[in-house]
This record gives sequence, C-alpha cells and structure tokens, in this order.
Amino acid sequence: MNYTKQIQDIASKLFTEGKIDIFIGYQQNSFDDNQVPVLITDPAEIPKLVFSDKSVFNLTNYLKFEHTKNKRVGLVVKGCDSRSLNLLLTEKQVKRENLYVIGVCCEGVTDDNGAKAKNCEVCVMPDPVVYDEILGNPSGKKPYRVDPDVAEVAKMPLVERADYFEEIFQNCIRCNACRHSCPLCYCSKCCIDQETSTLYNGSNTVSSAVHALLTWSMHLAGRCVDCRNCEKACPSHLPLHLLHKQNEKVIFENFQEHLSGMIADDRGAFYKYNQKDPDDFIM
Amino acid sequence: METQEKEVKGSVQSAENPGLTAPADWQPVIIGILCNWCSYAGSDLTGTSRIQYPPNIRIIRVPCSSRVDPWFIIKSLQATADGVLISGCHPGDCHYIAGNYYARRRFLVIKNLLNFVGYHENRVQFSWVSAAEGAKFAQVVAKVTDDIKKLGPLHRYKKENF
Amino acid sequence: MARVGVFVCFCGANIADFVDVPAVVEEVKKIREVKYAVYYKYMCSDPGQQIIKDAIAQYRLTSVVVAACSPRMHEKTFRRAVSEAGLNPYLLEIANIREHSSWVHQKNKKAATEKAGDLIRMAVAKSIANEQLHEISVPVTKRALVIGGGIAGIQAALDIADAHIPVVLVERSPSIGGRMAQLDETFPTLDCSQCILTPKMVDVASHPYIELIPYSEVIGLEGYVGNYKAKIKKKASYVNFSLCTGCGACTQKCPVKVPNEFNMGIDKRKAIYTPFPQAVPNKPVIDAEHCNMLLKGKCGICSKVCEKGAIDYTMKDEVIEREIGAVVVATGYDLWDPKPYEEYGVGRFKDVITSLEFERMVSASGPTGGLPIRPSDGKVPKTVVFIKCIGSRDEAKGIEYCSKICCMYTAKHAILLHHKVHDSRAYVFYMDVRAAGKGYEEFVKRAQVETGTTYLRGRVSKIYKMGDKLMVRGEDAQLGQVVEIEADMVVLATAIIPYKTNPALARLLGISYDKYGYLSEAHPKLRPVETAKAGIFLAGCTQAPKDIPDTVAQASACAAKVCGIFSGDALKKDPMISVVNPDYCSGCQNCVQVCPYQAITTEEIPITRGSKETRTVAKINEGVCQGCGSCAAVCRSMAISLKGFTDSQIINEIVSI
Repeated sequence: MNYTKQIQDIASKLFTEGKIDIFIGYQQNSFDDNQVPVLITDPAEIPKLVFSDKSVFNLTNYLKFEHTKNKRVGLVVKGCDSRSLNLLLTEKQVKRENLYVIGVCCEGVTDDNGAKAKNCEVCVMPDPVVYDEILGNPSGKKPYRVDPDVAEVAKMPLVERADYFEEIFQNCIRCNACRHSCPLCYCSKCCIDQETSTLYNGSNTVSSAVHALLTWSMHLAGRCVDCRNCEKACPSHLPLHLLHKQNEKVIFENFQEHLSGMIADDRGAFYKYNQKDPDDFIM
Repeated sequence: METQEKEVKGSVQSAENPGLTAPADWQPVIIGILCNWCSYAGSDLTGTSRIQYPPNIRIIRVPCSSRVDPWFIIKSLQATADGVLISGCHPGDCHYIAGNYYARRRFLVIKNLLNFVGYHENRVQFSWVSAAEGAKFAQVVAKVTDDIKKLGPLHRYKKENF
Repeated sequence: MARVGVFVCFCGANIADFVDVPAVVEEVKKIREVKYAVYYKYMCSDPGQQIIKDAIAQYRLTSVVVAACSPRMHEKTFRRAVSEAGLNPYLLEIANIREHSSWVHQKNKKAATEKAGDLIRMAVAKSIANEQLHEISVPVTKRALVIGGGIAGIQAALDIADAHIPVVLVERSPSIGGRMAQLDETFPTLDCSQCILTPKMVDVASHPYIELIPYSEVIGLEGYVGNYKAKIKKKASYVNFSLCTGCGACTQKCPVKVPNEFNMGIDKRKAIYTPFPQAVPNKPVIDAEHCNMLLKGKCGICSKVCEKGAIDYTMKDEVIEREIGAVVVATGYDLWDPKPYEEYGVGRFKDVITSLEFERMVSASGPTGGLPIRPSDGKVPKTVVFIKCIGSRDEAKGIEYCSKICCMYTAKHAILLHHKVHDSRAYVFYMDVRAAGKGYEEFVKRAQVETGTTYLRGRVSKIYKMGDKLMVRGEDAQLGQVVEIEADMVVLATAIIPYKTNPALARLLGISYDKYGYLSEAHPKLRPVETAKAGIFLAGCTQAPKDIPDTVAQASACAAKVCGIFSGDALKKDPMISVVNPDYCSGCQNCVQVCPYQAITTEEIPITRGSKETRTVAKINEGVCQGCGSCAAVCRSMAISLKGFTDSQIINEIVSI
C-alpha cells in the first residue's frame, strides 16, 4: 500500500487549481521509520507527503482545530478515518463543501513493531465511505467480529477483571491526550474542563480517572470508529480500546446497529430508539 | 445466603474485593433515581399504602428517566452508594412521549460497561414502575436491597476527596 | 455562603410516630450551611407557614428546605409561602420524609430517623445549588383552529366564538354538519336531528367570529401553545363561491351520476353537487374524479347554465396559513366495513344493510322519502331483524371495544320502523343492552313495550336466502334454543371506528394515538379533553366512541379550555426548562434529535464578540420546552442544563449522603 506519488500529485493539483488552503497528510519521521501528520499550506512542501502502511493516524482529528476551521482543506482518509469524517459531517462540525477528501482503500496499517495493527484485524470497513477521489481497489464491507481483547477480558472472573482494570485506571495520569487525539472529541469546552461542573475536580486520583474514562467512553459509545488515535497518543499505553469496543459490542448485539459512521446522517445508537429494544434487564 | 455470610467470620465480603469485609450488621446505601411522573408517584403510593420496604434507599427525583446521564450512576458508585436503582415509566407510558426509550439504550450500555470494568452486575439495577404500582416499587426496593446486601460493601474507586 | 433553613414537619403523628423528629433536627443543625432548623406539628398550616416566613426574614435565609410530605403534595403551598416572604419560590426544596420514610419504615424507627436525616441532607445540598427562577410568560395569538365541522366542531366553534374569540373552522367535505346531519331522529327523545342541528350550522356560517373554511384540510402545524401556525389546503372546488348564488341550476343539468356518499350510496348525486339540501355553505363543488370536463375536457354544461359565471375549471388547490393559539380536533368517526361477516351475506344479499343505510332510508329527506324499502325489490319490509355488535366487541373479526351508541340507535331504529310501517315486526339480536345514560333505559323499554320489538339475547350464526326472504338463524340464549326468523330485511349495527387519516393527522399535530387510531387524551380521567401537547384539545368521536350529548359536552369543555388559554395576554409557564450555554455548545445538534417536542432549533452567533464569522449553537424555545431533560443528558459538553434539575443539584444530592 503505497500511494505517495498519487497523493503528492493530487495535492499539487489542488493547490494549483486553488481549491484548497491546507492539505493534511503524513510525513516521514526524522528519527525512525514511522510517520507523523503534517499540515501543508505551501505547495513547496508537497514532496514531504508520504503514504504507506505506516500512515496510522486518523487525520480527521485535525479538522477540529482553529487553524482548519472554515478553511478549505484537502486530506487523506482510510476506511476508519472516513467513518469519523462521516460523523463529523452529521454532527455539523465540518462543511462538506470545504473539504477535498482523498479516500484510500486501506489494506491495513502496521504497528510500531511492523506487525499488522490490532484494529485492522477487526476492521469492518477498509474502504472509504466519504471521498472525492478514491485510491486503490475497494474490497467491501467485512462482517463484524467481537474484539478478541474484549472477549478475553470478559472471560475473566469478576474480581480478576476488577483488578485488571484497577491497574489500568491507576496508570492513567489524566493528561487528556486521549481526548485531544480523538477526532470525535471536538467540544469547545469539554465537560472535564468545566470549572463550574462538579463532574471532575481535576485531581489526579484513580477515581477521577475512572470517572473521566468511563464518561468519555459513554460519550463515544455508538460513535467510536476504532481508529485508536487515543491509544497511540496515550503515554501510559493504556488499552483504551477495550472500553470502546465493549460498548460497540453491546450496541451491535442489542440494537442491531450498523457500526458508527458507516452511513451519512446517522448519529449513532443513542440518538434513536426501537420500541422493541431489549427490556429484560429492567425489572 | 444470609446464613452463609454469617459463617464468614460474622462479616460481609465485598463481591469485587473478597479481602475486604464489613461487620455483619452492615447496611448498604442505595441511591434511587426516580422519574417524577411514574416511579416517584409510585413510590409515594407505596407510602400512602403503608407498604413497608427496607430503609436503605435514598431517593432522588428527576423529571424523566431520560434526564439520567450515565455519569450520575458512575458518580453515585464513587460516592457513598453501594448500589444504584434507576426507575422510570413503563415503555410507551413516558410523560414526555419517548424519553424512556432513549434512556433504556444508555442504561443497557452503561450497565454492561460497569460490569465489564469490574462492578458486579447487580450494583446497578433498573425498573419500570408506574404511578399505580406502589406494591411493585416496594418489591423492587426489597429485591435490590437484598441483592446489594449479598454483594457486600463497594470499595473500589471510592472518591478520595469530595 | 448559603444560609439554609430547615423546617421539619410532624404531620401530626404521621411522621412523628415513626421518626424521631427532634433528633433529626439536632442532626441537621450540624450541617455547615444550615443556619436554622426547627420542627412543628403541621408545617402546611397557617402558623407553620408563618414560622417559615418569619425565619426567612430573621435568619436571612438564602434557601429553604421543608421536610414533610411528598413534593407532589405541598410543593406549591410552600413555594407560595416562601415567595410571600420575599424569597424566590424556586429556592425551596422538599425532603419527602413521610411517603419515603415514616410511612414505609414503620417498624424501624432508628432506620427511619437516619433516613429522614439523609433525605434532609440531600435536600439541603440540592437547595444550595438552586437558582432563582422566574415564571415564563409566552404571548398568545387569540384565535382558535377547529378541525372538523361535525356537531363536535360546530359546538366548540360556537362556544369559543361566543366568547368573542376568532375561530377558524376547517371542514374536509363541502358542507359542515358531519355524521349528525345524516341522522333522522336522535335518541332518547326522538327529536329530529336536522331540526336541532341546522340552526347551529347556520349560526356558524353567519357568526362574525367564525371563519368557515369548507372543503379543506389542515396539512401542517408548527409552533407551540399560543403560537401555532397552521397550513390549510383549500381543495379546488371549481366553483367561485363569491359569485355562486346556490341556485342549483348546475346540479340539475349535470349529466354525470355518481353514488351519493351522503345517502350511503343508496341513490345518485351529480358530479357537481351540494351534499344535501341544507348544506352550509350551500354552494356546489365539482367532484374532479368524475367530472367529464375535468377528466376529458368535454361537457362544460354547468359553466353554460351558470348565469353568474361562477364555474372555473382552471381552479387549483390553494394553501393558506393562519396564525392560531389553540387547536380543537374533532374529526369524528367512520363506519366499520362489515365485509368479514360473510355468514350474514354481507355483499351477497342486497337486503342485508347497515344501520346508517337504514337511517338514511327512514330520514324524511332521504333517498326513499322516509320509508324503509328493500334494495332488492323496492318493497316495504314487514319483518326486520336488527343485529347488534357487528364488529364491536369482536376480537376475531372486528375490534375489541364497545362502540357505545349501537344499543341506543338500534332501539331507535326499532321505534322508527314501527312509526313508518305500522304493521311491521322487529327483532333485535343482542349480546348485552348497554343503556347507561339519562333516559336511555326508559327508551329501550319503550322500544320493547310500545313497539313490541322482540329482544333476543344471542348471536346470529347464519343468514340464508329462501325465496325472497332472508332466513336468520340464531340462538336465543335465554331459552337455550336455536331460533329462525323469516325476515324481509336485516340491519347490521356496525361498529364505529376512527378515520383512517387520524394517525397521519396525529403525527402532523405532534400528538399521540392509540392502537385503533383514536387520538389520545392526556389523562383518561382527569384530563379527558387535553392532549399531551399543550394547546391541542379533543372533542367527540376522534377520541373515543360517544353519543351526541357526550360529544357536545366534550366540545364545550374544549371551548372552556381554549378560552382559559386566551384569558390573559400571555401564558404563564413553569420555568423548570432547559437552557443552553452558547459558550459551551459545540453545535452537534444531538439535542435537536432527541427532543420529543421539537423545542430545539439552532441559531448563528458570532464566534467572538463583534466577529463577523459565526458558529451554530442550539437554541431552546421556551414556549415549547416541557422540561424533560433528555437534551441535558445527551449534551456531551454539558452546555444544556435543565433548570431545577441541574447537574450541580443532582450531584450535590448524590455526594451529600
């Protein structure tokens, strides 16, 4: 999967035709073979752009920042990234007419060790669902599978599971990098930061971490597209996807929802209902 | 079950932390969040009918079960509560047309999530109680109280500083 | 720093017997913010309220907690008291220590006392986060919309208009009058339906406060109580009503004949027609589905004979808008189609007819000149069998409910048959005779005694033909025998059902309906004319089957409710509704999605003060919001808070225990 040439060509065409102000893509890291996002405003920088199976980050995250708001932006999206873009469009955070989207039919990205990334193993949609131009050959929707990590943790006895998560939560340092890196955490004032809110006291205690992480995952339930930007950003390397994939599993199994961001104008499971939804857990 | 608990050194074990125990006469605290139009009215009827139930529940009134943000539940479990009961109108009877249908989806997800991260599934329970079901309310509270008593005190993630 | 006063009530012995109130007061005094705590025998009494008022002044209280009965009981009482002492009424909180403690833990005083203390602690914590709230005042447009021009709509319109409030009356057919206009005489007094109805119809047409819009339908309603905007589609009548004099030349000369709906298809009307002679307005309309000129472009006779030139074949449907403040829905009922009763020969035997067909026959102005005749041979029937509960109370073939009026109109039909055909004989097969109502039982007796009608309890199993007679085989359950009656005619008392269009109308109005399609009232007993949506009311059979007296009573009740809304220049509304903090709103519009009342819209605000660039934020319509809090719970950035139940208030309660 190498589209460096094509993406450079498209970016330079877009700049020449004056269609965009900013291009968001990937560039090579200077000190290892990983890639980092790059925002280009000067066509002279186009040669920096690369795209390969090391292009792991979800670039739609950068649409929430001030310098891309209301600008004409070109960007590259993979399957999962395009789903978050779909949600951003539905939730009126970006205007479609401001975007030029290069969709890549993803063949899976690799993790730091060069192995296939774990989220790609359970990917349901490698092809872009929103794009202006598509690169590669679509391979179609994949059947939903329960995340193996979630299945494994769910098998643990209650006490063991509680201990397992307590260790995870204890290692959270409340840096909020997960929130910062999540494309769908775009609130201008996050509930965590509201001084007037009694929700969090900002202290770095395990209970405040539990509260923050569980509330965060509830805010992403039915929306998370499993890009795992949060996990890549987490300095404590917490397996944050467990929370999101658990919610995704419950939502998929109980509400028969197609997965988040797959279709336009769909806000996710919490913003609709079916009278026949499961009721047996309620007395 | 109660006899079993007494056998364990005359104390109550916590379901999530078997090492931690409470005295045998330990009483749990349960927070009940009830919708104004059905369940709160139903709980009033329980009172008017003088139907007796265990005194562990502390009731909070909200207009509709859809007002219940999942983090109220998380917060309750981090405060004094050993268990939480949320109750609303029966499906189709919502005073606000469909509030409880939206709420029901969130409840299912948060219930499963809390269980996933290590809370016993009976810590958080839900019921539909109508304004006419005073007796049902008493039964629900009795069951929830009984369940929580079996689970013992909740120790994990109690907020260190309020 | 908050200064809270706590007032604990004994409620006589109701609380004091099971909760150690003085101990609770001592406990409560330990709370930092509590500056004053006291108990009294009856807090709701005048001296009790005086204690609260005096303490507010003396201790400069910033909020008040009353620990007594349920807030559903006396919250209003204490709010008034607090307000009279100069404190904002919404700074009051109630701790429900009676229904939630003393009455339900009568065997455990220690626990009940402890719990009462906790409940008060929670109320104190909540009250600290309480904010001053003020009643919302919503301006009202003093004009009512009445949908449906049957007796319910007519009565509601007249009653509202008599209070000098303008009314827009929309009727889907060319004339008002509805089902009642089709009736001959009415039970239990046998006064002529037309004689009592037509004066009211004329009143409607001539009333200075009523705008009658016939041959039209409501196709849209937006807004909220006091401020609705209705879209009304005026169907093309192809007749210019302002020119038409109603002379009737066109209807005489029209060559096209169509089954006459008003007479249940017994006779024919023309393609240009007035539904019945006393129609209001008495102007013809062209039935576009049958008019030769409109279908094929050939004919044009009506246009030629019209001296006024009122015929206009180019007329189009027109949509008009009216601003209104309240709506009365009175769409009436339809008849259940008895086709599933194949064993009664429905559709096969011409002389098996429905009750409304019989009603039209015996009507003096009806298609047969007031005489019942057999559709098969035009002879006057001598033996008539009436069968009740056709479709009603029949889960297998029809509907589960009782149509309520059939027992009475069948008795009426038996009497009318006797009046019209003196030597006739009537039989009534019934399941029960339900004659609850003023003069109703006497009326049924009259049918049985005066006219000699034979009432047979039992169901009819089969009707078959023998010569030109109908053989009715049924069971007389009281004798336990099978009976067979040789009848000339059979009349089926068919059930009444709501119009098929009711669910669509309900969705359009934003109100709910039941599984049959009847529109739902807000409360089956205590709010029988209101709907769940403020400012929309129900009258007549659109809500449930009912007879004329009940319909008229409900219509007048609607009028009273409408007049109540319009009694002031503005509506007062509970201030416990949602509010958006635009600084925190990220404009995702999830709240718009979940609001059950469409109370949330969006608005553009400058990104920063004075900036030309804008961003979209949610906006709550105070008039529409009912305060459920769905939006507050789905707002991820916590930009929406529900006044009276804010996050801070609820969290304070949770952490105070």
